[in-house]
Amino acid sequence: MLKRLQINPLDLRLAIMAGVLTVMAVAFHVLTGNFLTPENLYNIAQQTAVVGIIATAMALIIVARQIDLSVGSAMGVIGVLIAFLMYTHGWHWVPACLAGLALALIIGLYQGWLTAYLGVPSFVVTLGGLMSFRGAAFLVADGKTQPITDATFLLLGGGLDGSLGPTWSWVLGIVMAAALVWMTVARRRSASAHGVALRPLGFDIAITAAFALLALVFVATMNAYQLADKGVGQGVPVPVLIWGVVVVGVSFLVNRTRFGRYVYAIGGNPEASLLVGIPVKRVLLKLFLLLGVLTTVAAIVAVSRLNAGTNSLGANQELYVIAAAVIGGVALSGGSGTVLGTVLGALIIQFLESGLLLLDVAIGWRMVIIGQVLIVAVVFDVLYRRATGERM
Amino acid sequence: MNTTLRLIAGTVLAGAGSLAMAQAVGVSWSNFQEERWKTDEKAIKEQLAKLGATYVSADAGGSPEKQLADIDGLIAKGAKALIILAMDKDAIVPALAKAKAKNIPVVAYDRLIEAPGVFYITFDNKEVGRMQARAVFAAKPKGNYVMIKGSPTDPNADFLRAGQQEVIDAAVKKGDIRIVGEEYTEGWKPEAAQKNMEQILTKNANKVDAVVASNDGMAGGVVAALSARGLKGVPVSGQDGDFAALNRVALGTQTVSVWKDSRDLGREAATAAVSLANGKPVAGSAKWSEGAKKLPMDAMFLKAVPVTRANLDVPIKAGHIPKDVACKGVDKTTAPDACK
Repeated sequence: MLKRLQINPLDLRLAIMAGVLTVMAVAFHVLTGNFLTPENLYNIAQQTAVVGIIATAMALIIVARQIDLSVGSAMGVIGVLIAFLMYTHGWHWVPACLAGLALALIIGLYQGWLTAYLGVPSFVVTLGGLMSFRGAAFLVADGKTQPITDATFLLLGGGLDGSLGPTWSWVLGIVMAAALVWMTVARRRSASAHGVALRPLGFDIAITAAFALLALVFVATMNAYQLADKGVGQGVPVPVLIWGVVVVGVSFLVNRTRFGRYVYAIGGNPEASLLVGIPVKRVLLKLFLLLGVLTTVAAIVAVSRLNAGTNSLGANQELYVIAAAVIGGVALSGGSGTVLGTVLGALIIQFLESGLLLLDVAIGWRMVIIGQVLIVAVVFDVLYRRATGERM
Repeated sequence: MNTTLRLIAGTVLAGAGSLAMAQAVGVSWSNFQEERWKTDEKAIKEQLAKLGATYVSADAGGSPEKQLADIDGLIAKGAKALIILAMDKDAIVPALAKAKAKNIPVVAYDRLIEAPGVFYITFDNKEVGRMQARAVFAAKPKGNYVMIKGSPTDPNADFLRAGQQEVIDAAVKKGDIRIVGEEYTEGWKPEAAQKNMEQILTKNANKVDAVVASNDGMAGGVVAALSARGLKGVPVSGQDGDFAALNRVALGTQTVSVWKDSRDLGREAATAAVSLANGKPVAGSAKWSEGAKKLPMDAMFLKAVPVTRANLDVPIKAGHIPKDVACKGVDKTTAPDACK
């Protein structure tokens, strides 16, 4: 059955996770009565964006058998630097963000070079970074909070006006739905041109329709959220839009470029990759640079969302990012994992956090529960891989 | 007023002290990396110089073990009194035995060291909590309150919360105030406070009339959450006199920032250390026994200053914050007096 429908274990895993999310949402809604409201879903979408953006790149890092423990601290120092340049030195936000990006690339080069070219384990390199960058985040502005008032910059973090509005949100939703349909048609056409067995037509239509519908329902939900005195719906929040663009971009890298293939090959077997001529070192270095770029994007969203750069920005974030990737099905042994999985992984964590908060569960218990859910996810992962014969 | 009196007393004592002999006062810092202690050090140095005493110091760099060695070193250098900012309130106790054997008085600076004979000087955290609640209560005596508490692992978070409760307790019992949300904030982090506030707003369909937040960083997160919903004019409290927060006070998005002037603390600690070294009682001290072990101790609690629109000039005049920083982006027509 699975074979005839051409559902591979990866797709099935994503479907199971989506199912888990749905069950969680319904359960929390029954318990609290306000989980599945446009307002709460709008919140969750925004709150997940920062972790979700970094998690896409973290997934690739882990796939390549590396780890980066310094992302939270790096996000802190980059964010504070951007806010510091804007607030204390009066820079425009664009050059300030570019300066942040430059710092991120320097960090990426440094850590990537140590890892790829000198062969220092990335765990150690980035553990050092975890401490150093947190200290640097303090040094940048002497630990002082750097508030931000630039209205344009604040749009990037969502907030009152930081969303697309109903019209553009609908345009976005329809474009997404159309793209999904087009992708299915193109795939079927190329499959039949090459004489590959097609999925049953009805099944393809059902799946495509489901995803297109999901996109439209998402837009409708975001549009349904109205702030009291505004009169129109909010629409898709900017941080979520940025997250979406990042997910599409990284997915493209993974599926359509040599770089992406190399990353998975290296994760699958580093020695063999080297022997067949893959420039392993260069690919690893590029990976760290990619992570740097996305850390900057996340830092910008986080600073803008908080309307300030603080020296604690991103503290412990690395744990949430890694947890999102792992819950999303990225194998810590390398070589396997999907970008879409990190989206679902990040959402699962945030669903739990929000739901437990709405239920008034005390902070101690929240931490206990979220930690154990991480373990449950990995146990599931191990059993699932054993059952489907997927790479361990 | 009280402080001035104490200062005069201190200066008089100082006169007597300097006539006797130059005292060396040893200061053991837990972790000097944190910016705020630089302000404290300056105040201690200045006051010691005024009192004719000399300043010797050591920095433990965050290590309780090193701090023990530091204190031995300070005693060896001839310190006649010790001011200790303890890294770990329990691990420090062995060092005290040595000081006691040599009859060297110890001042526990800002962090409690609960041991016999130690003089404890700090800001009154319960009172800080009361000041926060008082300012918010004055602005909104009725309605739905949210309490954003500090880190669950920091005992100060509960002291603050206890003080806040004292002020609003009667109104809560009467039903005028309903506490619709109460959350600890992991690590006092602004982002965590923002997320918690967003969930509380969702839960109560935005019907929140006032927020008692325990420090300025978290107040920033709360204000960001409120403004993202277009909620204006909700009173919010804070603490620390952060530049960003004082600016919010000027802009009207934060009601109060309780400011602990660490220069007061440094000054009083230096005065107390010199008095104790001369075998004299400390002016303005009181008996206190509300630590975890209920040990009776001599202590001094300084009063913080609740900074609101009305007295925003206090931290500006004290040189804590430049006027243009405090008043950045403030509309001239609605500006508080301090910004005009």
